[in-house]
Amino acid sequence: MAEPLIFAIPKGRILDDALPLLQQVGIVPEDGFFDKSNRSLKFATNQDHVWIIRVRAFDVATFVAHGAAQIGIVGSDVIEEFDYSELYAPVDLGIGRCRLSVAQPKDDAERIGNISHIRVATKYPNLTSRHFESQGIQAECVKLNGAMELAPSLGLSRHIVDLVESGNTLKANDLVETDRILDISGRLVVNRAAYKMRSAELTPMVQKFRELAERI
Amino acid sequence: MQKLSNLLPEGFHDSLPPHAEAASRLQRDVLDTLASHGYARVSPPLAEYEDVLANRMTGSAKSDLMRFVDPISQRTLALRPDITMQIGRIAATSLAGQARPLRLSYSGQVLKLRSGQLRPERSRLQIGAELIGTDSVIAASEIVFVAIEALEQAGVSGITVDFTMPDLIDILAAGPLPLNQAQIAEVRAELDMKDAGGLAEIGATGFLPLIEATGPFHKAMEKLRNFDSEGLLASRLDGIAEIAASIAGQANLTLDPTERHGFEYQSWFGFTLFAEGFVGALGRGGSYEIMDAQGQPESAVGFSLYPSPLIDAGFGAKAKELVFLPLGHDSTISKKLRSDGWRTAAALSDKDDAKAMGCTHILNGDKPEKL
Repeated sequence: MAEPLIFAIPKGRILDDALPLLQQVGIVPEDGFFDKSNRSLKFATNQDHVWIIRVRAFDVATFVAHGAAQIGIVGSDVIEEFDYSELYAPVDLGIGRCRLSVAQPKDDAERIGNISHIRVATKYPNLTSRHFESQGIQAECVKLNGAMELAPSLGLSRHIVDLVESGNTLKANDLVETDRILDISGRLVVNRAAYKMRSAELTPMVQKFRELAERI
Repeated sequence: MQKLSNLLPEGFHDSLPPHAEAASRLQRDVLDTLASHGYARVSPPLAEYEDVLANRMTGSAKSDLMRFVDPISQRTLALRPDITMQIGRIAATSLAGQARPLRLSYSGQVLKLRSGQLRPERSRLQIGAELIGTDSVIAASEIVFVAIEALEQAGVSGITVDFTMPDLIDILAAGPLPLNQAQIAEVRAELDMKDAGGLAEIGATGFLPLIEATGPFHKAMEKLRNFDSEGLLASRLDGIAEIAASIAGQANLTLDPTERHGFEYQSWFGFTLFAEGFVGALGRGGSYEIMDAQGQPESAVGFSLYPSPLIDAGFGAKAKELVFLPLGHDSTISKKLRSDGWRTAAALSDKDDAKAMGCTHILNGDKPEKL
């Protein structure tokens, strides 16, 4: 029997867009996968040796980079944040588009451009410090795992760096987008060593995704 | 009073039984194979003058040295991060007068200043061979062949050889796909990640076919030849195809023209070695240049293995049989047992417990009996 192939996909935002793609390349998860009350994390598929794991977006990158999963789907924000050397992103799937932006309260007069030091609440400390570093600003990041929009109003930090899709969440929290750091889309990621050692099975799979992405 | 901590610095660890033994066995098997192909062993020192070492390094690696001041010479010393440049120094100085081609082998610990979550160890075992004086296709084929044979002799199976072209982007940037220095760096960074979306974003779509020309050797080679419509890469591709043909059937072959992990100084040809049982590269090699004493370049090919992760993953850890020798046993019998390949552990007092010492057998009269 073939060695198992683990496909990591993220919970949340990208999942709904990713499932039809998986189906089109011929990977159909078992029924339990769609059952919200199912607590398993690893699911069988219609292909005997292919398994799907459903983990947090940040963990997709970690699982694949360490080779615990061979292939996965994750947003380019996560790929850039970790910058893992063992992670390939050979296909831009064009799903789950959004952007990573800097925002601040709309009535705050402090503007980036005339400051040398900034305090930012974010889930992306690496991307944030790299972005501000390129502008000559020292960024002190407060790592949060969600609800960044609360930080300015409660005095945690004056600026936030977060994902922006429609801008509605920002508006609802009286924040304005001041700078765009990165445009984001879902990418197919592959472990570097697995891509070589199991190229006979992974290269055609990547090619299928590539053809699919070109059609969209 | 503060309690003493016995922790080792981050990235360092003791190698314990049975891993330490597996490591030295693998080291011995690889070095014996290299010696059988005529590679003479050299053993450079752990530290050197920092400027001498850095002079033979390229790129970002220069700033990644563990340095300290030598209290005697008052000059800065650095611990070696790689033995290859020390071999280059030896070939260019002490052994400059020796006939070429010069075949040298080495083995030892190297120290990396930085390490990541993916490979946390900073002190690593490096074993390798360098062939100095030529980087011809025949020389490169020999190096790949010897590397595979050395791993096989050490018992490593399921070997994958991934070929790459380290100077590919420079050639393309100087010719059909012009880029300036800043753009080269950007394109390289995206190609390192095989980031198709990223390449498109920076407008370097001309390089996209290179990401697709990756995978099982022959198919990828075909795609690469189609991409190279002007024949600019033809001689390089022919060379790599010839090397691949020379080792056909001995390993799983793949081609990844833009692979750059660890290929800072290689020229037309590079390869990475993978093996079953460990996720990650086991070693790499390729063609490069050494500066001789007059500053003239000399061609060379070579490879290095970094087998520690494979050993940590349990490779070669054999549970050997161990015979307990009770007090007052016949020493001629135990000598005979050892020459037959048994390992023995002698009792030092009548309180010694064979089981607790990890013995599998006990000597009863003149025969080992299973415990």
